[in-house]
Amino acid sequence: MGRYILRRVAQAVGMLFLVMFVLHLLTTLAIQLNGNPALAFFGDKIPSPAQVAAVEQRYGLDDPCYDQPGNPCLGPFVERLGQYAQGDFGTNLRGREVTDIVASAAPNTLRLFVMVTITWLVLGMVLGSVAARWRGSPSDHGIRLTSVLIDALPVFVLLLVYKEIVTVPLSTWSEETFGENSWPPYWFKPSFDAEHPWATVAVPGILLGLAGSAAFIRLVRASQLESYTGDHVRTARSKGLSEGRVVVHHVVRNSSIPVVTAVGLTFAEALSGAVITEGIMNIYGMGGVLWDAVQSSDVGLVLGIVTILTAVTVVVMIVVDIAYAALDPRIRYE
Amino acid sequence: MSAHPSTDQHPATTPASGTPLLEVTDLAVEFRTPDGAVRAVDGLSYRVEAGRTLAIVGESGSGKSVSSLAVMGLLPDNARVTRGSVRLAGTDLLALSRKEHRARCGEQVAMVFQDALAALNPVHPVGYQLTEALRARRGLSRGDARKRAVELLDLVKVPNAKARIKEYPHQFSGGMRQRVMIASALAMDPDVLIADEPTTALDVTVQAQVLRLLAEIQAERQMGLVLITHDLGVVAGVADDVTVMYAGRAVEQAPVVPVYTTPAHPYTRALLRSIPSAAGTGRLPVIPGRPPSPAAMPSGCPFHPRCDAVRDVCRTEVPPLATPAPGRTSACHFAADIMAGREPAAADADAVGPTDADPAAVEHRDGHAMAADQATVPTLDDQDTGGSDD
Amino acid sequence: MSEAASAATGNAAGAASRTLATDAWRSLRRRPDVIISAVIIVFFVVMAVFPTLFTSVDPRHCIIGDAKIKPQGFGNEFPLGTDSFGCDTLAQLAHGSRPSLLLALVVVGTALVIGVTLGLLAGYYLGWVDFFVSRAVEVFLVIPYLLAAMLLLSLFKNVDLGSGAFATIMLPAIVLTLFGWMGYARYVRASVLEAKNLDYVTAARALGASDLRIMFRHVLPNAIGPVTALVPTAIAGVIGAEAVLAFLGIGVRPPAISWGIMIENGSSWVLGGYPHMLLVPLTCLLATVLSLVVLGDALRDALDPRLTA
Repeated sequence: MGRYILRRVAQAVGMLFLVMFVLHLLTTLAIQLNGNPALAFFGDKIPSPAQVAAVEQRYGLDDPCYDQPGNPCLGPFVERLGQYAQGDFGTNLRGREVTDIVASAAPNTLRLFVMVTITWLVLGMVLGSVAARWRGSPSDHGIRLTSVLIDALPVFVLLLVYKEIVTVPLSTWSEETFGENSWPPYWFKPSFDAEHPWATVAVPGILLGLAGSAAFIRLVRASQLESYTGDHVRTARSKGLSEGRVVVHHVVRNSSIPVVTAVGLTFAEALSGAVITEGIMNIYGMGGVLWDAVQSSDVGLVLGIVTILTAVTVVVMIVVDIAYAALDPRIRYE
Repeated sequence: MSAHPSTDQHPATTPASGTPLLEVTDLAVEFRTPDGAVRAVDGLSYRVEAGRTLAIVGESGSGKSVSSLAVMGLLPDNARVTRGSVRLAGTDLLALSRKEHRARCGEQVAMVFQDALAALNPVHPVGYQLTEALRARRGLSRGDARKRAVELLDLVKVPNAKARIKEYPHQFSGGMRQRVMIASALAMDPDVLIADEPTTALDVTVQAQVLRLLAEIQAERQMGLVLITHDLGVVAGVADDVTVMYAGRAVEQAPVVPVYTTPAHPYTRALLRSIPSAAGTGRLPVIPGRPPSPAAMPSGCPFHPRCDAVRDVCRTEVPPLATPAPGRTSACHFAADIMAGREPAAADADAVGPTDADPAAVEHRDGHAMAADQATVPTLDDQDTGGSDD
Repeated sequence: MSEAASAATGNAAGAASRTLATDAWRSLRRRPDVIISAVIIVFFVVMAVFPTLFTSVDPRHCIIGDAKIKPQGFGNEFPLGTDSFGCDTLAQLAHGSRPSLLLALVVVGTALVIGVTLGLLAGYYLGWVDFFVSRAVEVFLVIPYLLAAMLLLSLFKNVDLGSGAFATIMLPAIVLTLFGWMGYARYVRASVLEAKNLDYVTAARALGASDLRIMFRHVLPNAIGPVTALVPTAIAGVIGAEAVLAFLGIGVRPPAISWGIMIENGSSWVLGGYPHMLLVPLTCLLATVLSLVVLGDALRDALDPRLTA
């Protein structure tokens, strides 16, 4: 197991390097094709020559390679990697450290992910179990249809409809019903309130979780169906083990494998979803910051956050891989 | 067959010549399906005594596995026992609560499953699975459990047991995995072992090894062994008694030698003919058609669409359980004829008139059949039991 | 002789995939949800190709005096009302369907070609080709595509590529294609690995058929079914992504019209009492996406033998 972890971590470092390099290549190419690199960093705003020079120097864009399309700009890449290694992911337009911004925004993103995960698990367990228990029944078909519909509903559309059409009447209604300073009005606020982070993140989190829950419903259904007929579960029962022990050590233990894999596979997708959610609902999280940065053309901030979030994705995938191997010996010994 | 020259044949259906360890009586199991209830096992009876092996033979879907799952209380949710009893050391398991029934599994009756790769849990080490029940139910310490796991692997002749208890099922070869499966069933010293097609997934040479191992362990411990198989060829060397199942019923029950020499049911006869033999030349006969689906059972004798000795009566009347010879039963209208190796009564006569028109003739044929039986199998000595089988 | 034999096996493979397609068609034809979805998709495709069938108004002919008119019903001047600039909603809707659907088609088509080719090469030759393709798949899968699109498209925000139908969608098309091919590559690679060991492929190879011939006559037909089933869902995904990017102002950009841009414009007027500006394009988007997903789901059932087994 130790050797497996070491090997996976080494692979992850290689992967991280490759991902950084691809991001660097794409960025470089974009800058080279886009003409004036410093201006690209300012987007619509008109910078002073001093600002342009500062930005060029700040990002190593004074290197002549940025004027030569096709040049991979390896020098600046190595330089940038060195900065990343020191925890320096650049600054936003106002000179604030990206790491600083991320540190202040990350807790809200984590809150959002807590809500998302709870929604996934609750919906997945309840609907998946019902569908598996009464397989082939109308409720099974209904749940299957629902999960197709959920799959089809873009998070973006869901949130837009919620924010623009549902929140205002709901929060008015709840203010009238429960009083202005009670909890419910905060749940239905159309935008984030830093004073009440949990309350205002709850509903967006549930909606984002709902959008991703279809995969979990199908997964729980499939793994439970398997456990109802699973040969090894039958063997465990034939040994006279109590039903509780069979469920914990044989059913849940074994069906945790696909669920863990699914968390890994959906993470990248959920991250994209989080950006949309935080953007639309004005949540001050990493995605929300990124959303605003794109709209205000703060390319330095965009690059920094995308790099960090991609690195996080790589780390999550490795953690999932290791958890997967810990749960399934067949992978470990391959 | 030659491996067990039995002199003391206790036919499966003979009552009370020793307390049976496991006695199944008139068992019926039904499956709920969208098209209504379907009977998978219908009136099955058998008994297993200490130190003896009963082989239950049949094609897939004949109900042989379902009946043993019923014994273990492991029927799937959509199946239930509608009739009968399963007595284990005198206690009717089916009358117990689910929990009490479960408590007797592993301790008194254990089961070896067909596909060890699927039947063993892929995520736990082999040692853990061997002793899981001992630790959970008898409170064995970790160290004792490890010792016991090594003993169990030694018992089933897995080499290098000490190192291998830490390995996982997928790291074992097919034959070794099946040995592990057997060892895990033996962990609690059961009185009766049910082995459901224990060798089907294995190579022929490995099959023989595993069967020999099972027979040795059974003899050593004086266990009752129920060997479920679709292969009559496997049965000969190991079993004492044979129950042939077709479409949920026992069509023939007898000690092993007469089943081979003088089958009393056309289905058994066809099964025997389809065993490939080294000396055999020419085409291997196969049984035409397929076993009936329990949902669409043919009228009359369930085997009649595939029977090579079918007569009109077979199409309309379910054959009663006949006793063509003492200690033997056969669910065939013409059991005695088949046993004697004759064609059943003149086909043309049957085509016009009712079959049971001439009871005297039947008597007569029966006599012949007995004679033939004694002539071909001199070792057979079951007349003294004089069992009545109804 | 070898030609004849391999032609025979080729025909066998061809026939197999033909019967699969026939079976799939037969089972799809009988499902009402599939028929309804197909009708909706055809409707919007016709709209995208011939927008003038649905409206005679120029979508860019906007009179600010006519701004914010609520839907008047068909037969009137503004059947679906106007937006905040006084542009006719129906005209915008009809003309806006083209960039949305064209983008989806271009992205999925190109990604399909890239993914199938790379997957085929990787699965067939293995070795270093497979190594590079597999690494590339992993790297592009790890970068969340929306984040990558946000980064690249903000870098290109100021570039003017003109206003032709292809020019307006080119940037999002390139970026979404760049991050959209991996699924096909993985699927095809797996199918190829499976098909390579099938008897008729081994036979064809033993008879000396060329690599190209084996790939296209024998291996590809096997992989094409499951991959086809991915296409409708992928198209739906791109349509959804276009809306998000348009909302951020980095997708298809004004003055071009797309459903995403209409949604972006309309979303701020819902509370002002003009929900139609949001709901009209949103409904069309949702209907299209939903139909595509239902179709994809049905196709998956019909075409992927591994799922039905």
